[in-house]
Order: sequence, then C-alpha cells, then structure tokens
Amino acid sequence: MEVLLKTENLETFIGQYHILQGVTFEAIRGEVTVLLGRNGAGKTTTLRTILGLSPPSRGKVFFKQKEIQELPTYKTANLGIGYVPEDQGIFPYLTVEEHFKIATKGKGDKVNERIETTLALFPDLKQFWRKQAGVLSGGQKQMLAIARAYINYNELLMIDEPSKGLAPIVVEKVMETLERMKGETTIILVEQNYLMAEYLGDRFYIIDDGKTVLSGEMKELKEHEEWRKKYLGIS
Amino acid sequence: MGMLNNRMNLFVIIVGLLLFLLPFIYESRTLLILLTQIFIFAIFAMSYDLLLGYTGIVSFGHAMFFGIGAYSTGIILHRMESTIFTVLLSLLVGILLSLVISILVGFLTLRLKSHFFAMLTLAFASLFLVVAEKWRTLTYGNDGFTFPLPEFLRDRTYFYLVSLTFMIAIYFLLKRFTESPFGKVLVAIRENERRVESLGFHPLYYKVIASVVAGTTASISGSLYVLSLRFVNTSVFTMEMTLDALLMTIIGGVGTLIGPIIGSGLIEFAHHLLTDLASISPIFERWIIFFGILYILTVIFFPLGIVGTIRNRISGKGKKEKYAKKTVAG
Amino acid sequence: MEQIVNLLINGLATGMLIFLLAAGLTLIFGLMDVLNFAHGGFFAWGAYSGIWFYGVTGQYVLAILFAMFVGLVLGALTEKLIIKPVYGNHIQQILITLGFMLVLSELLKVIWGPNQLPAHAPEWLSGSWLIGDIIIIKYRVFIIVVGLIAFFTIHFILKKTRIGLIVRAGVMNKEMVEAMGIHIQKIFMLVFMVGASLAALSGLLLAPYSGVIYAEMGMDFAILAFIVVVIGGMGSFTGSLLAAILVGLSGSFMAYYVSELSIAVNMLLMILVLIFRPQGLFYGKG
Repeated sequence: MEVLLKTENLETFIGQYHILQGVTFEAIRGEVTVLLGRNGAGKTTTLRTILGLSPPSRGKVFFKQKEIQELPTYKTANLGIGYVPEDQGIFPYLTVEEHFKIATKGKGDKVNERIETTLALFPDLKQFWRKQAGVLSGGQKQMLAIARAYINYNELLMIDEPSKGLAPIVVEKVMETLERMKGETTIILVEQNYLMAEYLGDRFYIIDDGKTVLSGEMKELKEHEEWRKKYLGIS
Repeated sequence: MGMLNNRMNLFVIIVGLLLFLLPFIYESRTLLILLTQIFIFAIFAMSYDLLLGYTGIVSFGHAMFFGIGAYSTGIILHRMESTIFTVLLSLLVGILLSLVISILVGFLTLRLKSHFFAMLTLAFASLFLVVAEKWRTLTYGNDGFTFPLPEFLRDRTYFYLVSLTFMIAIYFLLKRFTESPFGKVLVAIRENERRVESLGFHPLYYKVIASVVAGTTASISGSLYVLSLRFVNTSVFTMEMTLDALLMTIIGGVGTLIGPIIGSGLIEFAHHLLTDLASISPIFERWIIFFGILYILTVIFFPLGIVGTIRNRISGKGKKEKYAKKTVAG
Repeated sequence: MEQIVNLLINGLATGMLIFLLAAGLTLIFGLMDVLNFAHGGFFAWGAYSGIWFYGVTGQYVLAILFAMFVGLVLGALTEKLIIKPVYGNHIQQILITLGFMLVLSELLKVIWGPNQLPAHAPEWLSGSWLIGDIIIIKYRVFIIVVGLIAFFTIHFILKKTRIGLIVRAGVMNKEMVEAMGIHIQKIFMLVFMVGASLAALSGLLLAPYSGVIYAEMGMDFAILAFIVVVIGGMGSFTGSLLAAILVGLSGSFMAYYVSELSIAVNMLLMILVLIFRPQGLFYGKG
C-alpha cells in the first residue's frame, strides 16, 4: 500500500474565518478515498488547500513523499493532480473540443491519442464535440469536467461532489463512469450522497468543524449506523 | 481607545488655539495665505476620508462637489450684491445642490462594485467639467471669472480665522459622525459588507448618506476655496482636484480625519517649497510627480498612511496589524 | 450625402481608436479583475514616444512599431511593479493605478515639456481622395484599416491558438485554468503587455488625427474607453469593438448635430447599461 497523498494538520483561513482546524488524512494509490461531513465542514476547502487555491496557514501536504503545500497551484496540478470543482468549473463559451484541447498537455499524436482514450470512456461527449459547453445539461457538464481532469492520465483525481444537483438516473451514470476509472487512477472523492460514497469508496474520513474526526475502511462505516447519525445526520 | 481619543482632542484644541493666535504673533502674509489654503484643502480631504477611509468606497469624482460649491459661490457673488448674506446664501445653495446630486448619483452608482463605481464617478465628474466648459453664459468657460468679496472677508487675517474655524468645526462634526452608531455601521460595511447586510442593515442607504455628508462637506470647501481666490474657473472640476484629496488622504492616513489635515499641510507646504525650487531646476515644477511616487509607495507599503502607521506603533502591533491591512483592503 | 459619409468615416475612425484602447482594458479586466486606470497613460506615452521617433527618423511606420514597443515595455513594468504587489485587492488596485496614471503623465511633461506639441501625418497619408463629389480624408481611412488589422489579428490569436484559448478560458474561470496546470500569471503579464501596446498604438494613431498631443490626452480618451468597456461587456473582446464603433459613431453624429450633448449621450448609455444590463450589451460574444 503506497500512500500517494497525505495531509498533516492542515489549517486554513478564508478571510477571517478559520475553516480548516486540523485536517489529517491519507489517500492510498489505486483507492477511492471519500471525505464525508456536513455542509460547511471544510471538505471543499480541504481540496482547495491541497491544490493551493486556498493556501494553508499551517500544516503540510505530501504528494509522493514530497512536501507541496508551498507550491503555486499550477505546479501542484502539473505533478499529476486533476481537479473537478464543486461547480464543475466548465467554461461556458468554449466548445467541448476546446475543453479537451486546453486540458491536454503535450503535442501532436499524443494529444489525439489521449483524446481518443478519454472519449472512449465518455462516449456521450462526442456528439456535443463542437457545441459550447454552456448549453450542455448538468450531467453532461459533470462528465465533461471529469473527462477534463482525467485526460492527462493524472495519478490523482480530486472530485468535489459529482452528484450535486443531478437527477438520480444521471447520478447513476456518473457513478458507473467513476467506477470504470477506479483502479486506473487514485481518487479523492468529496460526497454528500452517502450511497454513492459507500458504493465507490474504499476508505473514508469524516471532517467535522474543520477537523478530521473519524476514519476507517468504508465497510466499517457501513456497519456503524451510530457514526453516520452522529456525523452525517443520516441513518 | 478612550484615552487616546481624549489626548487627540486635547492635541487638536491646543494646536487649534495656537493657530488662532498665530496671525497676532507672527505677521506673514504668505504664511497666512498658505495656511488658509491648507485649512480649505483639509476640509476637502476630510470629506474624502469619510468615503475612502470610513466607508471603503473609492470615488474618482469627488471634485464634482468641490466644483458645485465653488461655482455656486462664484456665480452668486458675481451676479448679486456681495454681502455676508449672499456669501452664506451661496454656501447654502452649494450644499443643497450637492445634497440633491449626491443622493441621485449615490442611488445610481453605489450599488455597483468598486471598479464600476470608481469609473462612473470619474465619468460624472467629467460630465460636470464639460458642462462648466460649455455653459459659457454662466461660467465663462475655461477662462472663468472674478467676483467681489464683501468687505470683511477681504482681510486676509479675517479670512484665515474663518477658514480655521470651519476646519476645526468640521473636524469635530465629522468625528462625532464617524463615532456615532451610524459611523460604526459604515466601518462595518467597509470591513464586511455582506455581513452587515445579513444583520439586517441596508448598506446602500448607509453608503448614500455617507456620500451625502461627504458631498456637502466638499461643497463647503469648494466655496471657501474660490472665496480665497476671488476667482473661479473650470479647474475646480478637474481630476487634479480629486487627486489632491486622494493624495492628502492616503499620505496622511485613511480613516483618521486627522490624517487628511496633516496630508493637506504636508502637500501644500511641499508644493510651496518645491515651486520656489523650480527656479533652480525645472524638474521641481513637476512637483506632483514626487507625490505620485510617494503615494504609490504608501499604497503598497503603508496603506494606513502617516497617522495610521504612527498610531499602530504607539498602540502596539498584533491585533491592529490585521485591521491595518483591511482598512484599504475593503 | 457627403456629410453623412464623412461623419460615418469620422465615427468609424474614432471608434477604432477607442477600440484599440478598450481592447486591452477589457481583456485585462476580464482576465485579472483589474480595472487599470493607468491605461490612458500608455495611450499618451504611445503618442509622445511615437511622434518623437517620427520627428527624429521621419519614418512613420517605424514610429508606429516604436510606440508599440514602448507600450510593451511600459506594460511589463507596470504589471510587475504596480499591479502585482496589490494583486487581489480591488481598492488598492484602483488607487494605485490612478496614482501611476498621474506619474506617467507628469513624466511626459518632464521629458517633453508641459505644453502641447504638434503632430502631423506623413506625406503619403496626408490629403484626401475624391470619389464622385465626396472627399475622403486618407488618414482617417488609414486609422480604420489599422484598427481592423489589429482586430482580426487578435481575433485570430484568441480563436486559433493555444494562448488565445487559455486567455478566453481565463476570462471565464481563471482558477480552473490554474488548476489545470497552466501558469496564468505569465499569461496575465503577456495580456497586459499586449493591451498596453495596443493603447500606445491608439495614442500614436490619434496624434496626427487631432493634430496635437498633450499629457492629459490619456485620461480624456480613457473615459471613452471605460464607457466602451462597460457597454461592450467587461472581458468581451468582440463586444468592445462593437461598442467602440457605437460610441464613435454616436459621438461623430452627435457632435455634428448637437455637439454639447455628445459625451452626455455616451455617458447616459453607460449608466443605462450599468443599471439594466451590467454584464454589457454584447457579453458572451467572446
């Protein structure tokens, strides 16, 4: 079991608010690590802090044993971390094709090859190839955002609430896609949708009031209804 | 804060008294004229501080109100008999016009984000400048016009005392205003507008009233300014006027009221000195360039200006430091 | 008829000049969220440095290139020394760029003196064509052509190159662009330089058109550019062209029929847009 990414006591301020007050967790290569917790607990900020979009005031982030918390966002991303933000971060006036092109590193045949492979995983996107992304449906946008993060064969994908605002049937589709990506890459998944988390996750961490308070294998959480009640307000 | 405040009041009163006595102790016409100028610009800069320092809004059109006061006074004294009554009337007309215009402009623009507000105020001020240039029957355009003063204001000493009184009175009034519960809300808006809104206040109204107070005060300074010159032309509406207020406020110290007064003194004095030096090298004719550079450095390195930085040193750093960053950060 | 054609050409020429100034402003705003009040300073510097160069060498085309080069350098310095230290703080940015505008125009007076200077078009651009009984002034057509060349060049870069793609994406969501591993700070610098260069080009083109140059010309024209940026939609390149033509034409026709009202009408248009359609009239057109 190789630890791909690790954080140690991350603390982050946003304006005057102390959002993260000690987040410690590990993501193991090849696994899906799920970050759970109530709204406003600090899950999104954790991802943003790892990427340097909301830099930490204290604490450390290791990626492949290297300290990265001081790196600017673009350098962190170039280490091989793909990001799907909560709002999907789609560029509404760029076409699907342009989204693929801007995301793909490298030149020439390599680019085309990557685009081909990615499209094989997201076949629906092909039919909107020359459409502006702004006109896509919520589910299609989510797929595009995931494809964009996947296309560089990033070693780590950080996906923030992929089920948010989507109809159940669409959520299922997103789940299927993520399941197919599992194994090929390591995933850190932030989810409110417990069923999705349970289905995809190997390991979980619960963040409460800016701190990691509980962790373990996913199946343990499955067995402990009282944990779910206490920290997630679900049963 | 209370102690500091009392000491500050005492300080202002003592310096004020000394300034009142000055013309009877030391007779220098140049110095009196210079100090009069400083007092007038201090009023203008204080009015600007109310916007920038206390409410956290950047207007690039503050000269608009300065000019309204200036032309109200100029035109009334030019057209009507020059008596103490018409002088007061002209001040009042300026204040009323500024009141109406600041309400109108305020409601139109203050709901916008800071960039747009700055830009729109700039555009409004330039519109006033154009009107002043084109409405020649009233303003004589760029050339401007002179007008007579009533007897008692012609005496430089007397006018000096009047300006000083105005400055001190306005200082204490604005201080009162900013320390009132209303003023506290303004500061809260500067710090975090959304939070104020979520507490049930309506930031727009507070901002409009702040801009009305600032506008009418600026109008008074404009009136005094042309009274001191006995002449008015379109320069009162120019960008340079707003820039002067900006320089004085930023260099002196935003959000302090005393800062703009010190800023005004500093800049007017330096202006005076550097103009004298212009005979040595023409670079000193462009004295404003030094202030421009000083201003830029202040914004980057000392966003609190002279007064704010000193105050911070005195009352210790730490907690205040964060506040410091916020003052200009908005 | 003759009058209308002339007003049309005047309006288009002025529109192009405003466009060149506004294009940089709008892209810088869209990409960096910086409203650069010093932008007019680049314009005035372009005019002075270009006219000076033209006076020394007698080469107008080289003077254009020189002015644009001066714009590039000024843009780079401004981004590094003035914008970057206060990045992310709107109020400080607004204050500092205005202060820098002041320094830029005072520097002009230090170098070239405080009085306005004459500026003439070169021989080959002076005079006019007679088409039917309509007189068309060559220099104005020249401005329109240069403006169109600039527009299509940049349009091409924005649409067809990777850098253009990054700029367009950055205007929509710069955080996401960074999260994809792109060093957007570098792109900021580049866009800032190009914007400053276009402003300088605009200033030099204006010089022979108006016949004189003066240090405050930057601010006067910058106000029109601000109006255009608002009407066209902050961050919209094509929008700024359309809005600039609109403002140019309305200025030229208003100036002829009711000259007093021309700036007022443009301002009114801006106020209405800000109140009713703050994203601009042409937002979304790229």
